Amino acid sequence: MRADIVRLYRTVHSWTGIVTGLILFIAFYAGALTMFKEPLERWVTPPSAVTPLALERADELIAATLALRPNAAKDFTLALEHGDGGVAGEQPLRLIWEAMRYDPAPWSATLQPDGTVGIEQLDPSGVGMLVDIVHRTVGIPGDLDIGTMVTGVASALYVVALVSGVIVLLPSLVKDFLVLRVGRNLKRMWLDAHNIVGIVSLPFHIVIALSAVVFGLHDQIYDALDEAVYGGRMRAVMMESSPFRAVRKDPTPAAMLPPTEFLARAKALSPDFTPIALEYHDANTRSATVRVWGRDPRHLVRREGFVLMSATRGTIIDTEYMPGHQGSWSAMVSAFFALHFGSFGGGVVRWTYFLLGLAGAFLFYSGNLLWIESRRRTERRAGGPVTQSRSTALLAAGTVGVCLGCVGGLSLTIAAGKWLNGLVTDLNAWHYGVYYAVFLASCAWAFARGAARAGSELLWMAAATTAAIPLTSLLALAVPGLGLWASADLIAVDLVALAGAAGFAGLARATGRRVQQGPRDSVWSGIASPVGMKAAE
Amino acid sequence: MTAATPRARPPIRPDWWSKSLAGTLLGFTLAIAISGLFAWAGPGGPGALNKIQFNMWMVAPVWLGVVSFCFLFRSGLRAWLWLGGANLLAYAALHAARTLAQ
Repeated sequence: MRADIVRLYRTVHSWTGIVTGLILFIAFYAGALTMFKEPLERWVTPPSAVTPLALERADELIAATLALRPNAAKDFTLALEHGDGGVAGEQPLRLIWEAMRYDPAPWSATLQPDGTVGIEQLDPSGVGMLVDIVHRTVGIPGDLDIGTMVTGVASALYVVALVSGVIVLLPSLVKDFLVLRVGRNLKRMWLDAHNIVGIVSLPFHIVIALSAVVFGLHDQIYDALDEAVYGGRMRAVMMESSPFRAVRKDPTPAAMLPPTEFLARAKALSPDFTPIALEYHDANTRSATVRVWGRDPRHLVRREGFVLMSATRGTIIDTEYMPGHQGSWSAMVSAFFALHFGSFGGGVVRWTYFLLGLAGAFLFYSGNLLWIESRRRTERRAGGPVTQSRSTALLAAGTVGVCLGCVGGLSLTIAAGKWLNGLVTDLNAWHYGVYYAVFLASCAWAFARGAARAGSELLWMAAATTAAIPLTSLLALAVPGLGLWASADLIAVDLVALAGAAGFAGLARATGRRVQQGPRDSVWSGIASPVGMKAAE
Repeated sequence: MTAATPRARPPIRPDWWSKSLAGTLLGFTLAIAISGLFAWAGPGGPGALNKIQFNMWMVAPVWLGVVSFCFLFRSGLRAWLWLGGANLLAYAALHAARTLAQ
């Protein structure tokens, strides 16, 4: 590899890295948490009274609900399980429908013990949704599309950063691979760690980066394709691939088969498919259809797949989204989704993705540290006291404030969920309020106090807020009068948080030592150099 | 380069703005054209079920591949000329493929 090419790509790598580092840190840290958003959601939700699902009464529920709300017949869903397999306690059989497309608060109907139907508006967007939104938009408030586009553009730069990083590393790859030089040269050690994590998880990063570009920018890409490739006919081409392409609308009233029949037919088609919901369309008409949604961890599918059936005759209409029964193009695209979501292979893949996500967050954090370190002014070279440049001081403060603000904000909003649940009417808004309060306060704190002091202080904050998660559960057990609760099957949430808190506390101690005793010619030193003092006067 | 010219190749000019713009803009249009070529003339032809989504996914790796490697051009001008030429060829081929398929 020619030296000038490596030099060139080192510049490409540092610029793409520095522009996107903080955005990607948030996306990865929150993304790691999304792997377990259902357990998190259940952790903040009190266990409800157990009323088992009564599938044999589903017909009764559907008929009674549609009599009350005929508009729901166009599209409604019969939920067969709740959250992550319904472990938190089985819930009553529930019909869900939306008053408008992408309704944030859909409606729900359940059978009451007295045989009547109870209708309520759901407010499902809790802490799991918050983690997901932060992952997708890095917390940029307002229109979801703007935040998603920002992550899309950042992901595009991230692809370039990956390629350039590999080019920079190639010449020394054989010599330095998996070598971690722990020693006096801290920059060398950080660089080794950055390289090890980057190379070992490179396949994961390539997959995540490219799919994130598509998730963030698919509207723009489709628009361009429509214009340049499909001559404005793209909608029509898409409709030709729709699962509903063969369904002709026929409003003539017709009786539908019972839900158990659809489940039996789905099972006959694919025995390992676990149904989670039945989605009806144009119910009680001749063109009524039902989508049997479900999971099959043996296949690379989007989070869920479905088989489309006629609701009156039970014939299978389309399997393009059914795990193991897809056409080749559909199966390949589903695989791209699955590789981003980690929605295959069950628990092992989930935990692997969780750890790879955290490792990714470390990658971007260490990248910023290396940027700062390689612009460091040393006393040795200057032959006397130095002050660090404004840009490194600002980037150091920003890195500490944004990264630790995100960590602390997410931890505290999870812990607060358990305290606030039932106390406040709009829990969802509270979740956002807590997250943004911690995040913005951390950023402000970092710039006000300077990177060195704020670094260790905010790490203690991150440790404390994360420790609040297991402490809340512990308090629930120790002081039952508080109205809190703890469930044994969610102990993993508490244990992971405890480990995280211990990790942050360890880092906080090390950082605190560095502020006091570390070399004074560093942006991380709390001891102002004589020059700095003079400049401040 | 022949043995008769012993002088070293000139170093790569950085030309950051020029190359980045060429890679981002012309790389994107090139990726769209290649995806379109794949749609019309690639395996399965234009009518294959759900191929349209795959075509869209193709754009990202092609586009960002061009952006990633466009810094290897010896100058910004060369980046614009080569990528511009590639675009002309790709869109001509796309036009031909569409005409033949219809």
